[in-house]
Amino acid sequence: MPDSTTDLLERPADEVADGDVADVQPDELVAADLLVEEISIDGMCGVY
Amino acid sequence: MTDFDLDAAWQLHPQVSVRPERFGALLYHFGTRRLSFLKSPALLTVVQSLESEPSARSACARAGIGAPDLPAYTRALARLADSQMICGRTAA
Repeated sequence: MPDSTTDLLERPADEVADGDVADVQPDELVAADLLVEEISIDGMCGVY
Repeated sequence: MTDFDLDAAWQLHPQVSVRPERFGALLYHFGTRRLSFLKSPALLTVVQSLESEPSARSACARAGIGAPDLPAYTRALARLADSQMICGRTAA
């Protein structure tokens, strides 16, 4: 993995995965959000 | 988010690189160009042991995930599966 990806650690997440939340307890969603955060680097070509 | 089969065999996607960090780990998928932050060292342990464990459930057990925390970790794994960071493991 390129070391330059660590620069992205300072960037806020720009995408949050969509999901079917109807059958999920709110506290579970919060916990899952706390465990995994996702971002896409599409459109960041040239940044590194 | 799709249902996640906790009793199935999973593995880290071959195109994913893992970089351990103090907060957990950074996953980078070279195919989708996506980054996922694992914000728990225990979740990193789960992900790293998926390949050697017969199921995601046993990987969670190996990482010391207790029953109260299992739903949250299951949803975290489901999210990683949705983003193709992990994938189902087929028998060789």
